[in-house]
Amino acid sequence: MSTFFRDRIRESINNETLQTALDNNTERRLKGRALAFESIPDWRERRQRAHRIRADVIEHLDEYLAQFIAKSEENGVNIHRARDAAEAIQITLNIASQTSARLIAKSKSMVSEEIELNHALEKENIRVVETDLGEYIVQLRHERPSHIITPAAHLRKEQVAQLFHEKLGIPYTEDIPTLTATARKILREVFLTADIGISGVNFGVAETGTVCIVTNEGNGRMVTNIPPVHIALMGMERLAPNLDDLSLLLSLLPRSATGQKLTVYTQFLHKPLANQTRHIIILDNGRSRIRNSPLKESLYCIRCGACLNACPVFRELSGHAYIGRDLSIAPYPGPIGSIVSPGLLGGNFVHLAQASSLCGACKDACPVDIDLPKLLTRVRAGQITNEKKKPEGSGLGLTWTTKLGLQIYARLATHPKLYAASQKFASLGSFLFSPRSQWMRLPAWTGWGYSKDMPRFAGKTFRESWEKNSLILNEKKYLPHDKKDTPIAPNNSMHRPDILRESNTDRIKQFTTELSALGGQVYQTNTPTQDVIEFLKSRGLSNILLEPNTLDESLLQKADIEFTHKVDPKILVGVTKAICGLADTGSVLEADSSLLASLLPEIHIAILKSQDILPSLPDAINLVKDKKSAVFITGPSRTADIEMTLTIGVHGPKEIHVFVDDSISR
Amino acid sequence: MSTVQLFITCLTDSFFPHTGEAVVNVFHRLGIDVDFAREQTCCGQPQFNAGLREEARAIAEHTIKVFENAKGDIVTPSGSCAHHFRHNYLELFEGDSLWYPRAKALSERVFEFTEYIVDKLNVTDVGATWNGLLTYHPSCHTLRGINVDRQPRTLLQNVQGATLVELPHAEECCGFGGVMSVEHPELSAEWLKRKISNLEMTQSPTLVVTDAGCLMHIAGGLNRQKKKQKVIHIAEVLNNSRE
Repeated sequence: MSTFFRDRIRESINNETLQTALDNNTERRLKGRALAFESIPDWRERRQRAHRIRADVIEHLDEYLAQFIAKSEENGVNIHRARDAAEAIQITLNIASQTSARLIAKSKSMVSEEIELNHALEKENIRVVETDLGEYIVQLRHERPSHIITPAAHLRKEQVAQLFHEKLGIPYTEDIPTLTATARKILREVFLTADIGISGVNFGVAETGTVCIVTNEGNGRMVTNIPPVHIALMGMERLAPNLDDLSLLLSLLPRSATGQKLTVYTQFLHKPLANQTRHIIILDNGRSRIRNSPLKESLYCIRCGACLNACPVFRELSGHAYIGRDLSIAPYPGPIGSIVSPGLLGGNFVHLAQASSLCGACKDACPVDIDLPKLLTRVRAGQITNEKKKPEGSGLGLTWTTKLGLQIYARLATHPKLYAASQKFASLGSFLFSPRSQWMRLPAWTGWGYSKDMPRFAGKTFRESWEKNSLILNEKKYLPHDKKDTPIAPNNSMHRPDILRESNTDRIKQFTTELSALGGQVYQTNTPTQDVIEFLKSRGLSNILLEPNTLDESLLQKADIEFTHKVDPKILVGVTKAICGLADTGSVLEADSSLLASLLPEIHIAILKSQDILPSLPDAINLVKDKKSAVFITGPSRTADIEMTLTIGVHGPKEIHVFVDDSISR
Repeated sequence: MSTVQLFITCLTDSFFPHTGEAVVNVFHRLGIDVDFAREQTCCGQPQFNAGLREEARAIAEHTIKVFENAKGDIVTPSGSCAHHFRHNYLELFEGDSLWYPRAKALSERVFEFTEYIVDKLNVTDVGATWNGLLTYHPSCHTLRGINVDRQPRTLLQNVQGATLVELPHAEECCGFGGVMSVEHPELSAEWLKRKISNLEMTQSPTLVVTDAGCLMHIAGGLNRQKKKQKVIHIAEVLNNSRE
């Protein structure tokens, strides 16, 4: 029996504010995702490739992990393995005590939610601040995230306004940019003073030891670049074999998660920066058990959240209603959560899998084609672990009456004569129950009667009619005319039209179109220094943080532009040279010496040579290999964490201006 | 004349026998003989979906035995049961050297009604007629389970006199989901509400489905809400002959 779960479901459904917030989330996410996939007409094939890559990783996980660990250690990173939550927490506490840490800045990590890390750190009087806007909001409310991608998906702006007014002491305002700016100001201080930065890991790359982290707001870059110690928490299954495979996965993850072609900041971390220590904690916590169980395929998951957005159950509930027997909230909600939560944490969450019509919308949405409905039926069948020889029962989470009914029905269905007799009996019964109407009005407690009527059993079943007259009802033969002339309706099954992208050989043009669409500015120039000076003057700016060897410094001096190569968070403009650009996403690649200048200032100016604009991420991804730390920047820093409303300039720059230097190619 | 085996499905047999009659008529009109194996009962999907694998297996074994020696392809007026045969039977008997080959042989013979007409018989116009608006709800297991969508839509487009209107958010589940509709009636009710309000937006008095489960669920909701719209199985639309 799971009355507690049904109570929580009822609460969610009756909460109008929540329902509106969830409808917003669903509609915008589904639309965004469909649009984003239009730009890769071969997505079906990519999805199958991604499935094979993930299947291969899970199949050979030990080898890939060994390779990843060896490579990371070569890169100067400290690797820790944690068997369970307690070990992971202890490792983190040890690092914190070695560094006498008092303040930790955290970017989003679902693993940290899974092991309840914040709670453990706070018990040791270490202050932990969540820096993703949505996570920050739920932390202030002492809640868990309600969605793995949009943690505050359950809230409306009025609630955030009230929260910031009460907790942060600002005047009540529902203006989302003001609320965002408030968080930016407070959290900037946290980034600059934190002793440790903790992040999650989207992918680890076995061949290179790369840690790949994607964030839109820029908080991921802050916590991995600024504090002297960086700890990355990684589920042991989150590997890609090499950078090429990673680029394929990266073409699917942001599209599925947020409807973006590429997340604003796609980071690749190899070696720690100067004066920085990096630790990676690799967590098992039940994953090996899942790997050896019939739920293995659930480990292919890349945590994009698309199955949550597609799921009609999640749409009614939000993550907060996925509760265990002990009333605790499952760390992972939605269809994937109803599989991995019992897989990772056991019996407490088994009933969740019964809340599904197995409609398959999740499988359709999954970028790595995980057969989620099949896995849900396996959880229901008790195939959770291979530890014990026998599963812990069958029909898990069913009410006993339903279970008994189905068992009786199974007996009848294997005895045709008895079955036919029971049909007669049911027909008679339903006629007595409702003699005057074709419909039976059952009471609500039956479940069926809650919102619909039940048809009466037919007076004469099909098999009876068949027995009696063998159904020669209509002898008319119709022979079809010309079969070929009749129109065929399009197969609508995926509801995602494949629109071929116009082939555009002009990469500069495509780069400009893409970046402009995201709110960035692109200028073509033969004289970059002069044009940057002109831009700065037009904005009344005269002080810049400059990456060495980027602009003609004597010209800057003549124009009275003050510049420094030393990082100073107070400077409003950062000027960097981009290693390359990506035409199909409008991205620029920055690394090592330009990391902070492209992150801390409010305005980021990148100088990009026109011949360095490459078609797409797969053409450029190997350029990150020899960098300590690199990032593809795709537009200004942004968030949609409050009511799915796009807001520009969270933790990173609010403006990005790219000067495309054409002087050499001409 | 070729023969097909009809798997009637438990819901159609017990609640909507006229759908079965329509299926037989349509086949007869197309010159196909229909045979009905009298020992058939249910495919075992409710048990399988609920997680009662042992029970589901017992029913599956019974069904395999019933159809193993019956001649011809097996056609069923339910995408959901077709999906169960095609995919879940393999899952049920995986690793069983005796039963897996038998389950696999059966699963390869099963077709959903419209899929059979369009893909196997190569017929896209069965000579049906209809007066007025129709809208189509693609059942989850027809649409996503066995990837059948073009076939019923094509057959409906070629129904003379019918005006087909698109159901908004057609691909969303109606909330039936077998035992979910009794285990989680609150969820089921919300989806049903949405399905019915989408149906109302089409102005169509008739909703066409390919599955008795959705039929029973949506029609039951409409009756409870005292709405006038009717839900009808596609076989009954196609049986409305223009001759």
